[in-house]
Amino acid sequence: MLTQGTLRAARYLDLLSMRQRVTASNIANADTPGYRTRALDFDSALDEAMQRPAKRPTFEPQVRELGGLAVKNDGNDVVLDRELRNLSETAIRFSHALLVMRGGIRQLRQAIQEGRGA
Amino acid sequence: MNLYNTLDIASSGLAAQRKRVEILAENIANAETTRTPEGGPYQRRRVVFEGRPPREGFQIALRDAQASGVRVAEVVTDPSPPERRYLPEHPDADAEGYVAFPSFNPVEDMVDLTAAVRGYQANLAVAGAVRDMINRTIEVARG
Repeated sequence: MLTQGTLRAARYLDLLSMRQRVTASNIANADTPGYRTRALDFDSALDEAMQRPAKRPTFEPQVRELGGLAVKNDGNDVVLDRELRNLSETAIRFSHALLVMRGGIRQLRQAIQEGRGA
Repeated sequence: MNLYNTLDIASSGLAAQRKRVEILAENIANAETTRTPEGGPYQRRRVVFEGRPPREGFQIALRDAQASGVRVAEVVTDPSPPERRYLPEHPDADAEGYVAFPSFNPVEDMVDLTAAVRGYQANLAVAGAVRDMINRTIEVARG
């Protein structure tokens, strides 16, 4: 049995990977005419995931066009610096959440081993 | 987790930017080319990018539609007329002594080249970050 905290960390990791994918898409399309910066509705997705961490498929985070950025001549509004910043931030958050996961898994493993020894 | 899919997106970006650099290199190399197999001077070419939906066939297809890779949709030829230079002794000179050279704007191509390299590096950064995320995840599973 994984604890609620570990499950929450797992959902958080899911969301972070999705966010990283949206960033990858923005960077890949930084020079695609007409492409607009996309963003994951991270906060509301996170709220929902934290409330029901055990129910994996219930949340479907929404990706929308961000808007409000300066649009270039070719109709593209990707700001590479913004995306690279998000890329690093998401990667750092990901490794932090993994530390939490690792703790949870260790506890579980320890419990199994001690149970065997008894 | 869909991290492998994210690697696909980054590699599509790398491939597209590399193609762009290739075409730019061709333009720069042929800036003075007056003969081509098609006849006439070399004509500048450029790439057109388009968004590409990632691989299909996964159950996460719905979410995939919200993030896309990129590809070179086509390579178009610059229609601007050749630049005529008066070089009567040149073997390709016409009856009036003018030679048709490719219309070449070195500034435009160099700016484009800088942007392409920057785009390539950004996609490389994505690939690196995602690879790191995958490796760390594997380490956790290892305990």
